Amino acid sequence: MKKGIRFRVNGVDTALEVESHLTLLQVVRERLSLTGAKFGCGIQVCGTCTLLLNGKPVSACSVLAVDADGSDVLTVEGLAKDGQLHPLQEAFMEVGALQCGYCTPGFLLTAKALLDENPHPSEEEIRSYLAGNFCRCGCYQEIVRAIQKVAGE
Amino acid sequence: MKTFDYLEPTTVGEACALLKQGRGEARVFAGGALMTILMKEGLLQPKTLINIKRISALKGIDFHPAQGLAIGALVTHHELETSKTVKEKLPILCAVEKEVANIRVRSMATIGGNLASGEPLTDLPQVFIALDARIRIASSSGERVMALEDLYIDYYQTSLAEDEIITQVIVPPAPERSGIEYIRFSSSSVVDKPCVGVAARISLGVEKACQTVRIVLGCVGPTPVRAKKAEAVVVGKPLDARLAEEAGSVASGECSPVSDLRGSEQYKRAIVGVLVRRALARAYEDASQS
Repeated sequence: MKKGIRFRVNGVDTALEVESHLTLLQVVRERLSLTGAKFGCGIQVCGTCTLLLNGKPVSACSVLAVDADGSDVLTVEGLAKDGQLHPLQEAFMEVGALQCGYCTPGFLLTAKALLDENPHPSEEEIRSYLAGNFCRCGCYQEIVRAIQKVAGE
Repeated sequence: MKTFDYLEPTTVGEACALLKQGRGEARVFAGGALMTILMKEGLLQPKTLINIKRISALKGIDFHPAQGLAIGALVTHHELETSKTVKEKLPILCAVEKEVANIRVRSMATIGGNLASGEPLTDLPQVFIALDARIRIASSSGERVMALEDLYIDYYQTSLAEDEIITQVIVPPAPERSGIEYIRFSSSSVVDKPCVGVAARISLGVEKACQTVRIVLGCVGPTPVRAKKAEAVVVGKPLDARLAEEAGSVASGECSPVSDLRGSEQYKRAIVGVLVRRALARAYEDASQS
């Protein structure tokens, strides 16, 4: 079954006709060519497909695109504004909070959701909020430091 | 994933009527955290998906002094975790929610879906059952209320009929001088499903004796289990270390864990014994201080 959906993606009103069984991740990557979010585990464990849906982090691999009708979606491509990287992106680069970068879009968006909800989290709160994002290069210390840097500003 | 018809009713009545028309081939969809996985794996292939998320009557958390806490079926885990009302009236629920899955699942998954899924490896049912929670259920022919404990039948099987939807969870106010504790034990990563989860509630009667005791074991059987023999060990007496130990050992014989990657049957039984002992001790301390 096909259904028309309208949603805002990175601030842009978007209307699409999608099959009911497609996931938000498939639609964002394949129809809108926003390939920052990656497919990882497919079962909401790894966090590499994280997008913000109405400001809340979700595993886009497990959200039906039809269910995102009427929502506000933020992908990593929407973080920078007017050619300026988001402070979290700057901090990730400065601290070296990545190696291969596969998990980075998910970490950035999860960190943004955390700081929107709680602008000055403790280290424990950061670690707990991000416990569901995996970095196989093992940059956890640097990721926490990068977020602390932004949270402390 | 196979394609399906997708509907978005805006009232409970409409949703139940659609479920009835679906004759078992329609499924309720709310947060979708578990449903999408089951559908992607091909374990569920509904002909029609009925998304109930547009039904505003199923949202929100209310507290009434007489009735207790009323939690709408569409409330997400994260909403429960961060609700000011819940933090004030029943902080144990916020504490439990902090440890459920990860922030993405907590943002998406709903309380109604968590209970209706019949998923045995989860946290909330044990806690709600220990609090004597009831659920409100709507169908195409009316409404009923039942104890949450009576919902569960087997692995992923509940007593909900084809056209029924859980609309609300009702947690009655606990008697005065009550204490509750939940201990979640994870044998791998903290974001993994629990290996064992034990909830204990004690309400005191006269002279510090335990009047009402609930010991609910999760993840160690097809459904959450009330360890009634272990409860009987404690009822009518003040709790001490020996009694808590005995209740733990009795409880470890009242469940039916299976060996899997989270631990062997024997290991899980041993963990149940330890957690029951600890949870009882903390619930008792909590009750004595309140």
